[in-house]
Amino acid sequence: MNQPASETIRLTIDGVEVTVPRGTTVLKAAERAGIVVPHYCYHPGIPSRPAQCRMCLVEIEGQPKLQPSCVMTAGEGMNVITQSEAAKEARRSVIEFLLLNHPVDCPICDAAGQCMLQDYAYETGQLESRFREAKLVLGRDRIADDILYFADRCILCTRCVRFMRDVAGEESLIVAQRGHKAYIDTFPGKDLDHEFRGNIVDVCPVGALVHEDFLFKARAWDMDTAPSICPGCSNGCNIEIGAKENQIVRLKPRYNADVNAYWMCDYGRKHLVMSNRGARIDLPLVRRNGELEAVHWGEALDWLADSLPSGDGVALISPFESTETIAAVRALLDSVGISGGTYRLERGGEAQLEGFPKLKLRAERAPNAAGAELFGFSETAALPGPMTGGLLLVAGDRLADAPSDFGADAGFFLYIGSHLSDAARNADAILPATTFAEMEGTFINHAGRIQRFQQALVPPGVARPAWMILRRLLAMRGVGQAVLEAKDAFAMAVEEAAELTGLEWAAIGLRGADAKLDGAPAPAAG
Amino acid sequence: MKKVHPAVVGAQPFQVADLRPVDRLFADAEGRDRLEKALSRYPEKKGALLPMLAYAQERNGWVSPEAMEEIAGALELTPAYVRSVATFYTMYAKRPVGRYWIQVCTCISCHVNRGEEVFEKFLEQTGTRAGEVSEDGRYTVIEAECLGACGFATVVQVNDRYFENVTPESVPEVLAQLEQSDSEE
Amino acid sequence: MGFPHSHDLEVGTILSRHFGDPKARELETWLGYGGYEGLKQAIGMEPGEITTVVKDSGLRGRGGAGFPTGLKWTFMPQEKKGPHFLCCNADESEPGAFKDREILRWVPHLLIEGCLIAARAIRAEHVYIYVRGEYFPFTSILNDAVVEAYEAGYIGKNILGSGWDCDLTVHIGAGAYIAGEETGLMSSLTGGRAEPKIKPPFPAQSGVFGMPTTVNNVETLAAVPMIVVNGSDWYRQWGTEKSPGTKLWCCSGHLVRPGNYELELGVPLKDVIYEVCGGVPDGKKVKAVIPGGSSTAMLTADELDVPSTYEGLQEAGSSLGTASPIVLNEDTNIVSAMRRIADFYAHESCGQCVQCREGTSWVAQILKRIEAGDGRLSDLDTLYDLCEQLTGRTICVLADSVVFPLRSSLDKFRNEYEALIGGRA
Repeated sequence: MNQPASETIRLTIDGVEVTVPRGTTVLKAAERAGIVVPHYCYHPGIPSRPAQCRMCLVEIEGQPKLQPSCVMTAGEGMNVITQSEAAKEARRSVIEFLLLNHPVDCPICDAAGQCMLQDYAYETGQLESRFREAKLVLGRDRIADDILYFADRCILCTRCVRFMRDVAGEESLIVAQRGHKAYIDTFPGKDLDHEFRGNIVDVCPVGALVHEDFLFKARAWDMDTAPSICPGCSNGCNIEIGAKENQIVRLKPRYNADVNAYWMCDYGRKHLVMSNRGARIDLPLVRRNGELEAVHWGEALDWLADSLPSGDGVALISPFESTETIAAVRALLDSVGISGGTYRLERGGEAQLEGFPKLKLRAERAPNAAGAELFGFSETAALPGPMTGGLLLVAGDRLADAPSDFGADAGFFLYIGSHLSDAARNADAILPATTFAEMEGTFINHAGRIQRFQQALVPPGVARPAWMILRRLLAMRGVGQAVLEAKDAFAMAVEEAAELTGLEWAAIGLRGADAKLDGAPAPAAG
Repeated sequence: MKKVHPAVVGAQPFQVADLRPVDRLFADAEGRDRLEKALSRYPEKKGALLPMLAYAQERNGWVSPEAMEEIAGALELTPAYVRSVATFYTMYAKRPVGRYWIQVCTCISCHVNRGEEVFEKFLEQTGTRAGEVSEDGRYTVIEAECLGACGFATVVQVNDRYFENVTPESVPEVLAQLEQSDSEE
Repeated sequence: MGFPHSHDLEVGTILSRHFGDPKARELETWLGYGGYEGLKQAIGMEPGEITTVVKDSGLRGRGGAGFPTGLKWTFMPQEKKGPHFLCCNADESEPGAFKDREILRWVPHLLIEGCLIAARAIRAEHVYIYVRGEYFPFTSILNDAVVEAYEAGYIGKNILGSGWDCDLTVHIGAGAYIAGEETGLMSSLTGGRAEPKIKPPFPAQSGVFGMPTTVNNVETLAAVPMIVVNGSDWYRQWGTEKSPGTKLWCCSGHLVRPGNYELELGVPLKDVIYEVCGGVPDGKKVKAVIPGGSSTAMLTADELDVPSTYEGLQEAGSSLGTASPIVLNEDTNIVSAMRRIADFYAHESCGQCVQCREGTSWVAQILKRIEAGDGRLSDLDTLYDLCEQLTGRTICVLADSVVFPLRSSLDKFRNEYEALIGGRA
């Protein structure tokens, strides 16, 4: 009698019984059982599985040879032993061979502390060499404008080659030569120039591929990391910020199945590191007798609470602001009777990742235009025009390109931001705000997904999140409450926008949630 | 133009003494004919890659980066991919070689029949170092792996010819035969 | 008959009958010799019938692995969903082997006929003959025969009026031993690096261009026409139950009469060496024989009384392989010979698996150092350990192949290693 094959199968791995969907590999099944099988060439985000690193070999009861678990389909009743003597010896052997011609230059290699060769060498106990011959030296090469290849460290797992071919959709990285002399290379004269090339450094298990702008900058153990969201465009790729001595030294993608998988674009990677620069506002400044004077927060806010005019005015925010800040600005504008408000948005060329189409470097070069739109701000190409008195509130826009007399004609110019431009110096009050990296908060991406980012850096001076400043100011004027935590500021934003109803800070977590907005800002005409 | 039956278009001798160099492989009728015929023998364009690399070697005596790029374009592959294939194999020269590419087997059966001595003798007689092109451009001498004539050691392949039962003493004779075939043309 | 020498012990009936006869290459002459009778018969048979005859004959793959040919053909899908392919493996690069070239050289039409019959058996519509690049003189002969066969209607559309279409393409390699491994061959044929692939998927499920494919050696296919014409029992009159038929031997090294001989399987190896090949020249003694091409374990002079069958050699701790004995005389430096063998594997490794990529070079480097007089006894321990590390852990068996001669040389000629090491620990 024919019985349909069941959807799941059961097998045992290292004594742990686990049930998995039919067709699951032994390696993935082991993952389900909480067991990590060491591996190199397999990568969950790269579809091809050559099974060539030979690191994931496991013993399967009844089979004479060790099997590569990354490609072996789990079978009903299989008994897998990942820690048998044979399997352990096979792994030790792989490490021995990998280290044979390896320079073991950990003291000068960026991968130290985050290197799968180091990790497995310790795990397998392969710490001494019995190699008496001269090591083969292949040298170092430039693979791209900003990526270096240290051939001697390369373990030829071909993850980089296959990322470019299978995920980036461009077969521009290849293995040249064969055998012992093989190495990774491009076509001569054609360095890698792809918008997603930086990912090859992330997938490299060792220090063979390194970003040139990260070279020698920081040790893995010296970096403080925080999960965040890339502010480069409206795709909202999940990232990890790596900071050392309070400077961003590296951005890496963070896995999110719904947004960016394991990847991010080079624009996002590089763009932010640039933003470490610039003169920061680190103290509140108020204008006294025509001059800007540094004052304490208390004094600044007291004065503002009294002096802030109502009625007439314009507001300019930035699509780089968090949702909490944008909500707070709207609340403030409401309290002084100002409606509308604008934001400026830069646009650039788009680039989609062929192998994961949800990931696209988007034309909107800012992370929260959707948040701005949600709270009633609209896109503008130009700065607010000449004023005749009234309130000019600028929150976030750096005014880097604004004329030096911008805002001089406002009745009251309040600038809340992180960087001090010439135009901002015309303000009556300048309040130091944090960048997104210096606080917690949320962005809403092009698809209406709301995602949280966490604090990676310590803000300079007494800079504070703009939402904290504004909610305090509002409370002092009898509107709402002051809040000190981002989750509370978020809760207030949820109350103030119908589209955010039902969203909870904890539930958003590190994966994000669907904010069910009508949609992202419309693409610019032409 | 050499007429080639499609069934054997990918099996033409590609290490030859008399080159017919071209700047662009597929600019002349012969190149286009070879390409077309090769493409017709495989369900995917990629299948014609080794035949086209062989053709580049046949015409020009080596496979240049320009040739790789041109082949890549014709087969809808990337130049990098073509390079990865070309550099895998030993018989596609990646740099120009001498008119006579002398490949001396020193693998086990020839090794125990003075193969290394034959190799050294060729180097001495041609005045070259392994892999280099002689001053007059006539010779490049390299060691080769098993050439498949083991019973007739030492085996030497020069372009598309086999010389068997070569001894260190008969090396000058082999070179003389090469000269002779030159003057016969 | 053998080439260039012949011997009474030979069975020159199947493969080598016309060796040394240049006219046999010409279609007209070949037809006069009974050529293409097998194909004519096969056209009237069902694919399954052809497979049964070959299966019953017990013909085993002659490329070294000895896998039963008829059985391999049955792995092709019964339900035909798309094109099927036959690949003839003429990449012959195993050190010691030079038999397939003789078939190309003397009886190319026999090979073509064998390919077509096999194609019919596995319902293939295209045959690729993958010849190693170096074999230019023999490829040219094959090419001429292929063109002749096409023009006479033996290949192509409506073969011999049967309504069956089958094409044949000759494709040459460019210097890579690993293109002789069946998945490496398929990778190379389809325009790639000759990098072996993991199995599953097996070639019969997904081979060239993702289609069901069977890969057979030249010598295997060349035996098929006469098996079809004369039947499986006829083929079994030679050889043994498990190793029926004849084998084309390639004898090299230190021999009076090296060359090719077609012999019945089962002839004692010592007879092949001393009788057929005349033993070692200049009155010297045999020191070692590598019986099946370099990827087989060495045998000492007193281990040669073994029947030349797959099972016989296996029992003797070695392997029949391609029946390509490399005979080394008493003056041979075994360490030097082993070093050169290791150099070969190091040079030919495709580089995918680290054990092979690094291990074959490491073995060669250690042997070179010992050969140069700078070895240690601990090196021998390392070499033995490497034998373990290179066995059973890689995508293909190139790594395993260096272990056979290496381990046997360490076991049987340790004294030579120790002499060069001179007691240094």
